[in-house]
Amino acid sequence: MIKNTLILLLFVSTNCFSQFYKSYDWSEKPKMHSITTDEQNEHSIGILKKNIVEYSTSTFSSDLLAYETFHTITRVNDEKGIGQHNRVYIPMYDVKNVIDIKARTINSKGKITLLNKDNIKEVNNVEEYGDFKIFAIEGVEKNSEIEVLYTVEKNADLFGSETLQGDYKIKTAQFLYITGDLNSEIKAYRTTSKFESVSIDGKASKLLEINNVPAMIEEEYATPDANKITVVYQCFPKGQNITQDMFWTNVVNNVGGKIIPEEINSKAQADLDLIMKDKKDLSNYEKIVLVDNYVKTNFTVVKNNNAELSDIDYILKNRSASDFGILKVYANYFKGLGIKYELVITANRFTYKFDPDFFIPNMLRDFLIYLPDEEKYVSPDRIEYRVGEAPFNILGNYGLFINEDYGYYFSKIVQSDPNYSTILRTTDITFNDDFESATLKQYQEYTGHWGVTNRAVLNLSNDQGAKEFKDYLTGSGIEDKVIESYEVENEEMNQMEYNKPFIVKSTISSESIIEDAGDSYLFQIGKVIGTQSELYQEKERVNPIEMTYPNQYDYTITLEIPEGYTVEGLNSLNIDKSYKSNSTGEKICKFESSYKLENNKLVVTIQEFYKSNEYDLNRYEEFRSVINAASDFNKASILFKAK
Amino acid sequence: MRNIIVVFMLLSFLGYSQDFSNEDYIYLKRHEHIKIGLSKQNFEITKHVSEQAEYLNAKKLYFANESMHFDSFTSIEDIEAYTYLPESNRNIKVDYIETKREFDNGIFYSDQESKIFTFPAVTKGAITNLNYKEVIKDPHFLGLFRFGTFVPTKSAQLSIEFPENVSIGYIDFNTKDSSVDFKQETIKGITTYTWTANNIKGYQPEEDSESALHFIPHIIVYIKNYEYKGERFNVLNDVNDLYKWYASLVKQIDTKDLEKVYQIADDITKNLPTKRQKAEAIFNWVQDNINYVAFEDGLGGFIPRGAASVCDKRYGDCKDMANLLYEMLNHVGIEAYRTWIGTRDRPYSYKEVPTPMVDNHMIITAIIDNETIFLDGTDSYVPFGMPSAFTQTKEALLGIDANTFKLIKVPVQKSDKSVTEVKTFIDIEDDLFKVSEKRLLTGYEKVEFITDYLYKKDTKSEEEFLNTTLALGNNKTSYTNIAKENFDNKKEALKLSYDLSIDNYVKKVENKLFINLDIDRVLSKSKIDVEDKKYDKKIDHAYQKNYMTVLNIPDGYSASFIPETLSYNSPDYGYTITYTKKDNTIIQNKSIYVNTLSIKKQDFESWNEFIKSLIKAYKKSIILERNQ
Repeated sequence: MIKNTLILLLFVSTNCFSQFYKSYDWSEKPKMHSITTDEQNEHSIGILKKNIVEYSTSTFSSDLLAYETFHTITRVNDEKGIGQHNRVYIPMYDVKNVIDIKARTINSKGKITLLNKDNIKEVNNVEEYGDFKIFAIEGVEKNSEIEVLYTVEKNADLFGSETLQGDYKIKTAQFLYITGDLNSEIKAYRTTSKFESVSIDGKASKLLEINNVPAMIEEEYATPDANKITVVYQCFPKGQNITQDMFWTNVVNNVGGKIIPEEINSKAQADLDLIMKDKKDLSNYEKIVLVDNYVKTNFTVVKNNNAELSDIDYILKNRSASDFGILKVYANYFKGLGIKYELVITANRFTYKFDPDFFIPNMLRDFLIYLPDEEKYVSPDRIEYRVGEAPFNILGNYGLFINEDYGYYFSKIVQSDPNYSTILRTTDITFNDDFESATLKQYQEYTGHWGVTNRAVLNLSNDQGAKEFKDYLTGSGIEDKVIESYEVENEEMNQMEYNKPFIVKSTISSESIIEDAGDSYLFQIGKVIGTQSELYQEKERVNPIEMTYPNQYDYTITLEIPEGYTVEGLNSLNIDKSYKSNSTGEKICKFESSYKLENNKLVVTIQEFYKSNEYDLNRYEEFRSVINAASDFNKASILFKAK
Repeated sequence: MRNIIVVFMLLSFLGYSQDFSNEDYIYLKRHEHIKIGLSKQNFEITKHVSEQAEYLNAKKLYFANESMHFDSFTSIEDIEAYTYLPESNRNIKVDYIETKREFDNGIFYSDQESKIFTFPAVTKGAITNLNYKEVIKDPHFLGLFRFGTFVPTKSAQLSIEFPENVSIGYIDFNTKDSSVDFKQETIKGITTYTWTANNIKGYQPEEDSESALHFIPHIIVYIKNYEYKGERFNVLNDVNDLYKWYASLVKQIDTKDLEKVYQIADDITKNLPTKRQKAEAIFNWVQDNINYVAFEDGLGGFIPRGAASVCDKRYGDCKDMANLLYEMLNHVGIEAYRTWIGTRDRPYSYKEVPTPMVDNHMIITAIIDNETIFLDGTDSYVPFGMPSAFTQTKEALLGIDANTFKLIKVPVQKSDKSVTEVKTFIDIEDDLFKVSEKRLLTGYEKVEFITDYLYKKDTKSEEEFLNTTLALGNNKTSYTNIAKENFDNKKEALKLSYDLSIDNYVKKVENKLFINLDIDRVLSKSKIDVEDKKYDKKIDHAYQKNYMTVLNIPDGYSASFIPETLSYNSPDYGYTITYTKKDNTIIQNKSIYVNTLSIKKQDFESWNEFIKSLIKAYKKSIILERNQ
């Protein structure tokens, strides 16, 4: 036995198609790299981030072999920079063998500290992420360079992806893709750099090199994590060529075959009988609502490795399912009710942009069910959502739609109702005791995603969460407010009526909202609309503009002018900012406020809306002026003067 | 058979009258029974846990996710879990349990694992049942039992049985409102203590409050001693035994290659004449050069790693840094002791709780010229001479030698050690509010600012960061010429300076300008919601903020109204704001102080009076009138 192993080893090592990783190494005598003064002021700077993905075929069979090498050199300048890079986690997902792991530090004095490999720890079965090897970088001080180099052999999947951008600047990022005579595809997102064909040890390869990759920064109205420069690739077994269509068809047959029932499961039929018991003359929409409410209050979506969580009999008995398995429950119920549905496979747009033109399983993350006759979605594993529009974190991403006959198409996931999410708010203001305090009586209606979120927070959060939420719903930003009454309606998550508004009725009083100024009083009327975020921009905007979801606000503020006083300084209440469509000239987003004086009443009306979810990055300043208009209004104050 | 038991138990609990009908999910029972066996001198300790919970509605089905933690000191065995559905009178068993790890932001590597599962078929009315055995492998870790938890509990019970040659100690906390019933019985030489509490309300964490252990009713039990062949052996009879155990762990510290460590200590201190300077240099070196990375691996979680290895690797956790400081300081002739301490999260003293529950941290105590100085290497920015903020008020256990220890309280650092000094000059140009400001921050005020700057700023610009943290004027304030000094200089105050221009701030009506000089409205959001807030308010450190604001009256204007002096003063907190007119300027002097680390519930109204008075003072505007 031992002898055989030896022979095998000999054979492999004399293989003339030797893998590139074997000759790839870090430099024997490392030197500190020079950095600019600006770079010195950053917490950390990537000097090199290099990924090598190498596919080959073993000598004995046509099986694919895949090796991945990761090589990084990172300069750390301060405590935070050290903290960002001194802990290394190497995922063992799909890893067959760890070929080698090494790491070293050069400090500013040139001293080199090599990682003691005994200090590499194994951590297995971490949450949903699988196994890891982890280690802490040794000998790192401020102004050191950390170098990490490791190679793993993977279970050869036909695809993969790698992100080449971080939240710190990288001076050189490289992706080297070695496939030799195997057919392959590769694509890079969000970079203008091009792949170059190179030959590595005589094997056909592609190299992408990007210099000065900027740090991806957190921005408002953006999906920075999903916008990083990324490479995706596919490599096919020897002599094969697989088209994107073939991949998609495979997914469709696979998923469809598992989810779409030919006939309803008998236990599911029993559930349906119960759900529909004593219910007559229901519309299809009402039936779907009943099913959705039933699932969300009787089933739990579980994240673990239990394979039975996608077995329909097990699911119906245990009322527990995986995010995949729960689709079968809906599919069975809808089959039983004769309701037409389509399965949708997509991804969270904040983490991954779904690309119909390049298949990789990474982006098949989230499942929805689309009801074409109703033009509505069901979100099976989202406890906070009920039949309606797609969840906001998916809105705008592409999805793969599969119908009951295994036909499929790709479509952007959009809202069918553009006015889905609205806030209607009326506020009546009176002053007490000679401007000692103001009383604000508010009535608010929240629909769409607002309503969904409000219900979810109230029903699912803990006491602290509910407390903060009450503050948010009753004049947030008025520091000394006293909530005199507070009442919510339609807060139950299970609602039969489509997009029923979530209602808040409240009365609050505040002293601080009025400022004394001699014998006059300044009333901070702007605070009535609540704290408004300000969109800052010092650096150039990086990310395309994406809203959380399209929405509209309609506010009416009615204020009684106390007898014996006049009101001044009303001009600041007139604001008109908009962003118009280049093609139609229509306002796509706007903030408009104006006032009217009627006898002893001041009536201010505000309308703010964002009809589209995406805005042109080149017109960012216009967009920003609309967003910030609300923040401008928030600063408005008016003066009451004795006559 | 099981059904009958379940029904019986249900009936017995239904008898309680407490109304929990507004709840979503409650515990019908949470019972723990600790069984202590002693064969010769070896303890066999098991804890049987039995829990039953009810879903009063189907809102929070996520409570079905259950996890039980264990590490190298414990194991979890014999898990039996099922959901009982009263409507159909059926039990559905949990048939899938995973063992998982978690990554933790604070602890890089931990041996803690969890048994994780999800109760099946939970819905309105479902009752979940969980029974398991925890084997406790080390007699120092009996743990604690909470009578209350995040949701109400109808029946909470801890019992502990032990043979007559074992003696048990216990102490309870926060139980005065929960009427815990204690029962003791001895049958055939086995004594059982039982504590029972019924209808305990839910306890959920609050922001700005002390940790839950400060208010949740709970009990700590521990093994005091046992007898064997007529001789008494102490386990954790009192703090002496705890220290003895700690000292035995300290003995296991790797002391090889200490020369390397001494060399560094010598290098750092060679030109420094006084002990105080030497100690400061060594402390700053550890703050600057050893990165915080924590490993919790069995007893490795209790025994500091060798000082030489920590120096080589340049990382360690609190005890590693403490031990390195210990070696370096003593080497250069400074009296220094390894010091065990609980952070403010642990509301215990060593005398009351002689178990490892009492502490969770390690620092160094140095005695220099009769002054006691606490040194916490994990706090990278705390100035030499001040303890880390989160150890104030806490009892420190100094290990003097293998048999001797000393208990000292870490004093609250007076507010004059943590001062923000602000000087502001304001000009009004065409209705624009132009400000030039300098801030000096010392003590914890500095630590807090730097920590926020490093860890909360993320990729935000400096302007946005300052706009959201200092919140000067309004959130449209623009910052220019931002400069900061002494981030890494531990001795000097942090200097911040910037120019501001604030839009929409000056209110102009006819010939009058209304100007509010309180662009910094610190504490204005600190009013306590007396009705909703259940527990004492926690304050991280005492501080003072002193402001001097000078407004240049623009040409052609004169002041027609200047607010009067306003103040609120109590020993624990207060403020004074005064205005004076001098030449062509108006000067506002404002000082605010907070001298306490806690606002007790009974003092909420008084705190609110202070805040309301302060907000009122912030509202006062100056009026400038155009000269006719």
